[in-house]
This record gives sequence, structure tokens and C-alpha cells, in this order.
Amino acid sequence: MARSVWKGPFLDGYLLKKADKSRNSGRNEVIKIWSRRSTILPNFVGLTFGVYNGHKFLPVIVTENMIGHKFGEFSPTRTYYGHGVDKKAKRK
Amino acid sequence: MASVSPWVCIGVIVGAHGIKGGVRVKCFIDQPQNLRAYGPVRDESGQKRFNARVQGVSKGLALVALDGVADRTQAEALKGTKLYVDRNNLPKVDEDEYLVADLIGCRVESPQGLLLGAVSNVYDFGAGEVLEIKGKSGELMVPFTKAAVPQVDVGAKLVVVEPPVYAPDEKDEETAFEAEGDEDQEAP
Repeated sequence: MARSVWKGPFLDGYLLKKADKSRNSGRNEVIKIWSRRSTILPNFVGLTFGVYNGHKFLPVIVTENMIGHKFGEFSPTRTYYGHGVDKKAKRK
Repeated sequence: MASVSPWVCIGVIVGAHGIKGGVRVKCFIDQPQNLRAYGPVRDESGQKRFNARVQGVSKGLALVALDGVADRTQAEALKGTKLYVDRNNLPKVDEDEYLVADLIGCRVESPQGLLLGAVSNVYDFGAGEVLEIKGKSGELMVPFTKAAVPQVDVGAKLVVVEPPVYAPDEKDEETAFEAEGDEDQEAP
């Protein structure tokens, strides 16, 4: 069952503080977070989070398309052996 | 200066399949069906060349028929053979686009020229490509952006990376404070 709309998106409160602090600092730094369950909000767009997957912090650059998803969706916890050699990687 | 090999390993034969000379291939390409599109395959030495035809995929392995391999004995003899294709047959890349095969193994340096390690893998978990760098000091995950990776020279097998700066964390500050407190207590 989906979460009730009247509750609003779930978010661990300290993330907002961290995001504001990082944005105000003006430095392009990675914000380490352990809260994989938190929803990505519009005011996180443009920031880079290091989302913990139980092993390491994977960099997640938040874009508009990610709003409404959870941070954990972008930091898999299972071992992945990588893409094929013929796959292209674009530097953005 | 290291040069880029004109041959790219796209798979390895892991065993025979059936009695008509089919082989099972562990593919390192995204879509095993594309194997034929990349032209004839050859072994590491270049002595054996085959036209490969993918017949199906089973349990993550491609079932491939190789021209000139007609029975199971011949197929079993090929076990462990790495298959290579011509780099020119791989998909063409645009500006600021790189093949994963070219990035893996590149030497990684900081803008100051400090050696950080080598690119061991390239991931895409939905938030853009991420370079995994393995060095003496451990693993480093860097987003594949112009800000974090200002220079990529595939010909020289060199990637210049701006190491990520982590925002100071409250947890770290707390532990640092506790450690300081402990030191104070232990001091005579």
C-alpha cells in the first residue's frame, strides 16, 4: 500500500540541516548520509550526496528527475560487477 | 606512454554446449546478441579466427556457434579462450563520451600530479556514471563529471581526478569532541 498523501514525503530531519549548511557554504562538497529511506526533495537538486550502501559512500548528484525517489534507490547494496566493455560513459 | 590496444576482449569461452560444436561464452558486452555485429572474433594470439553466431542466452551465458568448430571435442578444446574484436567495430563515441573498456585500467592522478590509483570499474546506478578508483589507500568513488574529472586522455591512459571533499559530519565532529574529551581526562 502506498504512503498516505496527507503525511507528506518521509524525510529524516537532519538531512535538511545538512543540505542547507552545504548550500550556504558555497563549496561543492559531498554530503555523507546514511538515511537511504529519505525522499529526495526539490531543494536537494544540484547537491551531491554520498549515500552509504553498507560498504562505501556512493556519490549521487541529485537532478530533477530524482525528486520523489528515495536516496537508497541510487546506491545499491548488492555486489555488481560492472557494465559491458562496449557501453559508453558520458562525462557530464 | 601506453598505447591503446586495437583489440578489445569481449568474452571468454567457459565450456561446450551440445554435441554440434556450440560453446558457452561469458560475454563482457552489454547485449550478447550484438556479438555478431562486431565482426569476426579472434583469440589472444590472433592465430584462430571465427565468425560467431549467437544462438541464445542461458543462465547469463551466450550460446554461440563458431564457424569451423563442428563437434564437442573441438569446442571443449577452446575452453578458456578469450575472444577479441577489432576496436574499430565497437560503437562510435561522441565528444566527452568514452567506452568503458577504454576507461578501465587508466592511471588516475590528482591535478597536482599525485598518483591516486587506477580506474577499476565504471558504474551507473541511475544517478550518472561513477568511476571506481582503486589505489594503495583503498577505493574511491568519483562521479564522472567535468568538475570531478577535468581531464581524460584515453590515448595516454590517464585520468585526472579532483578527489571528492566531504562535508564535515556532525557524527565526525562528535567523535572528535569525545576523543578530545578522553584525551583531557587521561592527561595528568
